[in-house]
Order: sequence, then C-alpha cells, then structure tokens
Amino acid sequence: MIIRPMSTTDLEAVVGIEASCAAGTWTPAMFQSEMTAPGRTWLVAEHDDHVVGFGGIMVVGREAHVMDLAVDPAARERGVARTLVWELAEAAVAAGATRMTLEVRPSNDAARALYASCGFDVRGRRPGYYPETGEDALILWSRPLPATLEAMRAARAGRELILAIETSCDETAASVMRGGSEELASVVATQVDFHARFGGVVPEIASRKHTEAIVGVVDEALERAGVRVADLHAIAVTHGPGLVGALVVGVAYAKGLALATDLPLVGVNHLEGHIYAARLQEPDLAPPLVALVVSGGHTMLVKVMDWGRYEVLGKTLDDAAGEAFDKVAKLLGLGYPGGPVISRLAAEGDAAAIDFPRAMLRSGDLDFSLSGLKTAVIQYVERERSAGRELAVPDIAASFQAAVVDVQIAKAVEAAVATEARAVVLAGGVAANPALREGLRRALEHRGIRLSVPPMGLCTDNASMIAAAAHDRLAGGYVLGLSADAVPGLRLGGVSRV
Amino acid sequence: MTLRFVTSGPSDTERAGQALAPLLRAGDVVALSGDLGAGKTHLVQGVAAGLGVPDAVTSPTFNIMLVHRGRLPLYHLDLYRLEREEELIDIDFFETLEADGVSMVEWGDRFPHALPPEHLRVEIHRLGGDDRAFDLRPVGERGAALADAWLSALGRGAVR
Repeated sequence: MIIRPMSTTDLEAVVGIEASCAAGTWTPAMFQSEMTAPGRTWLVAEHDDHVVGFGGIMVVGREAHVMDLAVDPAARERGVARTLVWELAEAAVAAGATRMTLEVRPSNDAARALYASCGFDVRGRRPGYYPETGEDALILWSRPLPATLEAMRAARAGRELILAIETSCDETAASVMRGGSEELASVVATQVDFHARFGGVVPEIASRKHTEAIVGVVDEALERAGVRVADLHAIAVTHGPGLVGALVVGVAYAKGLALATDLPLVGVNHLEGHIYAARLQEPDLAPPLVALVVSGGHTMLVKVMDWGRYEVLGKTLDDAAGEAFDKVAKLLGLGYPGGPVISRLAAEGDAAAIDFPRAMLRSGDLDFSLSGLKTAVIQYVERERSAGRELAVPDIAASFQAAVVDVQIAKAVEAAVATEARAVVLAGGVAANPALREGLRRALEHRGIRLSVPPMGLCTDNASMIAAAAHDRLAGGYVLGLSADAVPGLRLGGVSRV
Repeated sequence: MTLRFVTSGPSDTERAGQALAPLLRAGDVVALSGDLGAGKTHLVQGVAAGLGVPDAVTSPTFNIMLVHRGRLPLYHLDLYRLEREEELIDIDFFETLEADGVSMVEWGDRFPHALPPEHLRVEIHRLGGDDRAFDLRPVGERGAALADAWLSALGRGAVR
C-alpha cells in the first residue's frame, strides 16, 4: 500500500468511494475546492494502482480537523483506514498541530471502533449536526500526537521502552521492556498468600491489594530497569479479561500515568499476553501456531494466524481447568492454589486407580467440559467416605489429573494437526503442571510438531508478556484513549466462534 | 409446603432451566444453592438457552459475574469466593440485581439477608447418581408467582 497526496486525477475514484459509503455526503465540487484550500492535506491510499481510500485534514493552529476519511468497502479490514489516520497525523504534526479532532455519527460503529483504537476520546456532541438525517455528531479528540507518533516509530525500529502493568487477577505486576523482547525489569507482587486463607480469588481483596501494591511495584520496575518515566515511549496495561475490581486498578493507574506524561496508552488482552510469553522465550517462533491457554479462569485453544490475529477454536463450556484443580483440592482439603498440590500428590499416586470420565474426548469439536469430572470426583469421594474407607488422596489426585490432562492433550494435538500449525504454545498458569507439559511434548513429538512452553515465571501472570504484546500493538498503530475502561469479558480476536 | 421437582441428569436440569426462561422478566432474582457439582451452572445454562443467549455459559466462579445478552440481559453471579457481605458492594451486587435483566445467583445462600424482598430461592439436593431434587422456596409475591408458573410449566411435560 502506498500513501501519497491526492491529485485531481484521483477525483473520480475518490468520489466513487465516497458514494459507496453510507455516511458519505461529499460532492466532487467540494473535494475540488478543498484540495487547493490553505492548511489542507489530502492523502490517498493506493493498492495495485487502485485508490482504495482517502482522507483529509485542515490544520488551524494546534488543531487538525479530519474533514473526511473513507475506504473502499472492498478493501476494508486491511488496515487502510488506520494507516491513513496515522499518515494524516504525521502531516498534522508537520503543519504544527498537536491533536486531531473530528465528528462521527453515533451509529457509525466501524468508524467509532477505528478511532477508539487510535486513541480518540469522545469529548462532546453536536445536536442535529447531520442535516440529511438530523442525527447528532460525536466530537472526538486524539491524544497528543507527537508522543504517539514517536512511540510508534520507536516500536517499528524495535527500540521503544514500554512500561507494562498487569492486574487482571491476583498478581500486581509491572515490567519495563525495550523493543518488545529485551526485558529490563519484571516485578510481580504475588497475592497468593492473602488468598490462601480464602480458598480462592476474592475480588475485594484482589482490588484492595492491587491498590496497595501498584505504586511500589511500578517504582521498583523502573528502578531495577534504570529507566526514568521521562525515558518511556508508552504505557501498556491489561484491560481484560479478568476480575473487574482488579483490572480497574491497573487501568486507572496506567491512564493516570499516560495523562501525566502525554504518553500513548496501549491496551493488551490478557490472553494475548499469555501467548506472547512464548515469543519472549523463543523469538523465532512463527505463526501459524496453536495456543492452549490454561489457567484458573481460562481453558481455550486458539489459532494464531499471525501475531495479533486469532481465532478461538474451542473453549471450556463450564469450568476452567485451573478452577477444577482448585475445587477438587478444596474438596480434598488440600488448600489453595489447587494445581501445585494436586500435581505433587499425583506424582505419588496411580493415575489408573480410578476411571474418571474424559468429557468431550470424542465430541467432534475442540471444546472442553470439566464440570462432569468435578461431579464425578465429588461422588467418588462421598462413596468412599460413606463406605468408611480412608481416601487414597494421591490416587484420586493422579486419576483426576490424568482425566484433565488426557483431554487437553488430545484436543491440542487435534487442533495442531487440523490447522497445520508449526508449533503448539502451552500458556497460562496450568502450564506449570508437569504431566500436561510432558504428555503434550510426547504427543506432539510423534507428529513432528514443536512444543513451546514459556519458563514458569512467564506462564503465571506477569507484565513482561503484556509488554511483548504491547510492542506489536503499538507498532501496528493500536492505542487507547483516556476514556478506555476495563473490559472484564474482553474477547480474543475478531473471529470468535462463541 | 415444599415445592419440589426432580431431574435425572444434567440435560434434564438444563431443560428445567429452559422452562423457567419464558417466565422471567427484568428484575427477577433466582438464588441457587447446593453443593459443588449439584447442577447450579447447568440450570443457568438452560435458562440462558431459553433466553436465546448465543454464547457458551461458563462457570462465573473466576470472574464472579458474567453478563450474557439474550431476550433479556442475564446476570450470572457466583458468590462462592466471597467471604464477607461487604464484598457484595465491590462487585456491584445490588445495582446488578436492580438492573434491566434477570439475575441467577449461584451460592445465593451465602448472604441470605442481602437478597431482595422478592425472589425465588432454589435449593438443589443430590439424590444419588445423577438425580437432583429442586426445592423451590419463594420469597414475596413475585417469588411465589414464579414458583407456581415454573412448576406448572414443568407439569406440562417439560421435565419428568
């Protein structure tokens, strides 16, 4: 794609694109007179010698007004509009502007999503702005452009410094990273001690402890990295999915820091972070990949078509794997978190002692179900207790773990084969489980597929994985405005089956 | 008087939930109790299907609350991990129950005094094997109306 100034020979194509957009109201005469008016920059995007999009700004003092921006419907979803926005931003800054503003229809979801992901915030409303329909206009403003453009250039050159913050569940974490791969510092203040007493993640405790810890954790990350806030290019934060009370602490802190420094704010999906943890470990890891993300709150198989492009192939229909470990551990009186203690006991037990169900093993899809297994363990324990027998806890742990792991492995292998993946990434806290790691490695080895498991510190929640994902987001021109909020149910990828 | 129905497995429980769905309206609260593995989530999955929720309804234990879009918004809450009643404020519990949707509250017996004056309590008991008894304990007029309507819908053959 080439971006170049609009000329009169482009007018026919430009008018055609304008007419093909429902929101387009510009006439040929308007474009003609706009192109030559003072303070204007009009650009076209060209692909294979065809004009596929255009946009124009008018600079007045320090403000650049986006006059119009449209993309050929046949050329959408290829980043044409985003490229135009940032090229217009470059032109705006060159002409002395520091921010961009524009009007958009409240009903134009595609445009609103584009500008929201370029860091624009809604700052006002013009009633009855569009005469044809009487519709109001929303007034959008960008964040300060020079810092954002500099951060994007630095990211593309692989030299940007990002401070990343992660508070989606029970870890308060911060990381300072250069170029998306060079970890200068990574700090995790674990809250597991607080939670151990409660047998699970308590949201009130999570949010209060995040609030107490976050300043110290960020300061320590900066200090260990030898980096001052003034040296940073961008602030990144996990904005979902997770516990809302926990997410908002990190998001609010990151927004405050971004506001105070004028730095761009990059939002990262927590699950995407887990997948990027594998790239930190193996920089040459290249899509297509399949990722098995297993943690306390998630169990899903994701196809990574490209870094940043995902398709969820399957997920749990009820309980997450980590949750099943926690609940079974609680049932057996083993404490929290359940994963480590069950896998430790399982090593001493007989995995074939009890034939627990392998749910969904032959369901013909890539979804998981763990609630039936949980019920089967409960029923087994009750039967044993009412028969007056002492529980063979290691055997129960080993048999339960085998039932979980068998299905995870079978489906991950099926997904990898079906999608012709080059490698499988095992990510999330449950990746610590030795039976799952080793079993999956063996199953993939037979088929010549590589398994990538990040080191433990990168599998459990951390902020370096968020910084790694943020590098690509920033280089691709994805930033958040300061009205961005935590999204507890944030989904992964545009293509989601569920 | 005990209002009770019995189901014989997860899919039967889901059908019972499905029968409840058309009877629900905005502001209704159903509080579910019963041990781990009793079938609380299965019942909610049935309600979700009956409300036309397109996504998979997974356990809300981790996130405490999951919101689904159907004919009405479905607020699926799980108080399993909460320790103190004050924590309900942190999760926007009271605002959620008064909002524009249906609230299904797992482990709703945890803080009985926090439930609104009108709601339906459902206690699930395991009878052995996959059989489950659902004891309906209506609170207030709306609770009673829901219990009656649900039982008569089930009596029409939705569930054995």
